[in-house]
Amino acid sequence: MRQPKSAFDWRRVTESRLFFPIVALALVLLFDLIFVRGFFAIEAREGNLYGNVIDILRSGSTVILLALGMTLVIATGGVDLSVGAVMAIAASIAALMMNPYVMAKELPENLQKLVGDPNFTYAPLWAVLMVTLIVSAFCGLWNGLLVAYGKIQPMVGTLILMIAGRGIAQLITNGIRIQIFYEPYAFIGNGWVILPFPLYIVILVFTLLWLFTRKTSIGLFIESVGVNARSSFFSGIDEKKIKLLAYTLCGLFAGMAGVLASANIKTSDANNIGWALELDAILAVVIGGTLMSGGRFSLLASVIGALVMQATTTSMYAIGVPANAVLAVKGVVVILVLLLYSEQARNLLRRIAVQQKEA
Amino acid sequence: MKLNINASIANNRRFIPVVATAVLFIIAYSIGAGFYQGMRDPQVFLNLFRTSPFLLIAAIGGTFVILTGGIDLSVSGLVALTTVAASALIRAGWDPWVVILLMLVMGMTMGTILGAFITYMKVQPFIATLAGLWFARGMCFFISDDAIAVDNRVYKILSQTRILIPGLSDPTKKEGAYISLLVVVALVVLALAVYIAHYTRFGRTIYAIGGNEQSARLMGLPVNSTKVLVYTLAGFCSALAGLTLNIYVGSGHGLYATGFELTVIAAVVMGGTMLSGGSGYVLGTLFGVLVLGVTQTLIQFNGMLSSWWTNIVVGALTLIFIGLQSFLAARKVQAVGGERKQEGLAEMLRRSRKMLLYSGGVIVAILLIIVGVNAFMPNIPTKCTLKPFQQEKAAALVEGGAVVVYEHNGGSNCVDELYAIYPGGKITAEEGANRLEKQATSDDIEELLSGINALGWFTDTLYSTEHEPCGQCFTFFLTVSDQGQVKTVKAVNGGTDTPPAYWKVIALIDEIIPHFGAP
Repeated sequence: MRQPKSAFDWRRVTESRLFFPIVALALVLLFDLIFVRGFFAIEAREGNLYGNVIDILRSGSTVILLALGMTLVIATGGVDLSVGAVMAIAASIAALMMNPYVMAKELPENLQKLVGDPNFTYAPLWAVLMVTLIVSAFCGLWNGLLVAYGKIQPMVGTLILMIAGRGIAQLITNGIRIQIFYEPYAFIGNGWVILPFPLYIVILVFTLLWLFTRKTSIGLFIESVGVNARSSFFSGIDEKKIKLLAYTLCGLFAGMAGVLASANIKTSDANNIGWALELDAILAVVIGGTLMSGGRFSLLASVIGALVMQATTTSMYAIGVPANAVLAVKGVVVILVLLLYSEQARNLLRRIAVQQKEA
Repeated sequence: MKLNINASIANNRRFIPVVATAVLFIIAYSIGAGFYQGMRDPQVFLNLFRTSPFLLIAAIGGTFVILTGGIDLSVSGLVALTTVAASALIRAGWDPWVVILLMLVMGMTMGTILGAFITYMKVQPFIATLAGLWFARGMCFFISDDAIAVDNRVYKILSQTRILIPGLSDPTKKEGAYISLLVVVALVVLALAVYIAHYTRFGRTIYAIGGNEQSARLMGLPVNSTKVLVYTLAGFCSALAGLTLNIYVGSGHGLYATGFELTVIAAVVMGGTMLSGGSGYVLGTLFGVLVLGVTQTLIQFNGMLSSWWTNIVVGALTLIFIGLQSFLAARKVQAVGGERKQEGLAEMLRRSRKMLLYSGGVIVAILLIIVGVNAFMPNIPTKCTLKPFQQEKAAALVEGGAVVVYEHNGGSNCVDELYAIYPGGKITAEEGANRLEKQATSDDIEELLSGINALGWFTDTLYSTEHEPCGQCFTFFLTVSDQGQVKTVKAVNGGTDTPPAYWKVIALIDEIIPHFGAP
């Protein structure tokens, strides 16, 4: 038997929602420490910081944004499969609004010059971002309507936009991959102000969302809807409106992620932007300990979950696993995490522990 | 009379989604056949089967899983893994039959493992199969980064054997409407699946679990083992689908079948199987697959619509069928709820008025945004203004001794290229102000002409077709003069109304002519 006091402390640590995600992240980073030489090296160039760890934060920003929205949706007991498709729609709209001339054929000379001009944008940047985000929020709203008012299973309701969304994105750009030349927009995705610029966006969004859910009762409402939609309804919470809100926010964040992703690779690639990212986002939330059946959620745990996903990917690249093969590793990680969280597996472990104690 | 209809609908409610899909398929095909001459060809109908046996097989596996109330997202990963692993093993010199057997065992093993996770570890089917999907797809790239071609006699026999349809073909000439062996395999799987689902204890258990797992358990049904077996079956179907795809395309690659799991789910839903489980028909899945196929065929035949319309139409159809299902489910709940009151359409509409109002609002808002953004965007041409064919110039070139005059316009760069091939081997090309010239041997030209002749250039099988080309499409204008015969055939790519032999002719010519922009 352990000392009562230390046992008490230990329990408090292990029962914290952040414990498992942090352990998972630590495990991945420990792996890097042992197997990847110079993984933690950080280099300062022209006052900006570079390095693998910084890179995890930068590339992870898209998944973190998605995971934040997904946390809310999953907390209401739903799931949003369409975030990847919404990203593609957002990227297409933004690219088209900035430089519609790329789509054109047989342009007059004076307009042709504008096509590759890094200082040219057809619509001002604020208008581009506003329209993009509003449309993404509407996409989320559409999902929310199907789920909350249409009473369609969340997985199925959002599947519709997931299938159709990429088609719509291609329809917007006429199937063309629009290159983005406008520098200020590209800065959103790959600019640096000491730290990568996307990181500041993520921090801002996280803070606002945290204040919104934790300093008002919205977060509590979301959890209560996830635990039992019916009893929340009877206790005076409009469960439909709460769901609508969660899906709309999820769409909005997906739009932001789409902007970040397209600014990072400087194209609107309707086929590949956000491909399979909905899965990353869902798994980030699951690793963060939010149950798929809904209920209690922790935004910070989801962020750490997203970092676990990104750290796994980055460290696989660092040891030279081909990009596509990383999926297999992710699959194994997911299974391990699920086993770690599964009640059955914990019971099994407990039983083994009890048996050992008896023996 | 109205009462009768109501009563019969009430009694046969379970069949409504299946019948709706079948009717939709028939209507869609009839409309297509009305508009496009080519779709009246029985071969086009048979091609619906011939080009998608893998979809049918995978969707059958998916139907079983969805009937139990689960979902299988690992399909596409397993399909890709099967194509890669089978190709790699055959390249290493294994016997194809052993490989096929091994792949099926692999699929079943994978399915069983996922099923065990879902059943015994209580992992959500959605996440467990997702992990399976990633694992399988990732493993493909551990085997090979590139596509592996299969060159094997057994594979060739399996893919190229034509089974002629009696009555629509000419057995002596081995011509006419046909299906492939793979289609027969898919249909056999379908027949077996129908038998399993509706005539065995296992099948009834599946329906019971989907209806209510708790009560199935209380009834003493073997819930756990059945669930695991269903995933085993799905794994088997996925592996078989992968093998069919591998044989059909003759190669394997880890990026094959991306997004296939969604197509499978869409096919199953359109086939009238409830995603909540417990209700649906395996035969309905066949119609779901056919509706998907006919959507694609219609878009191809239209020629003006781009391929991404398929996604949008499939999304919309899925929405409609899910709406139909939830409508029927709502009626069912009413009927079971003791009062046995039949809810009319008007009541139904009144009940979901809010939903309709809101979604209408969202659609209007999105349309308004689109219109607003459109009004603000510059009016720029996104299509080529097609240059007219230079018919007189072509005629003059033929007069001047050219045997082949080939012009193609449009495409992504709005080209207007005119090629002339002379019997001596001289080939000239012009595009606007640019000129190219190339000297081939006269034997090359002889060979080209005999190739074109062999494809039946001067017969009725090659005829002109014209329609509005899509944004990226080319228009073609080809004149061939051989031994006193001169014939001109026009075409537009992107549609399927052009005779296939035409594209073979174009391919022959493309091999020999010089290309602009090439270094």
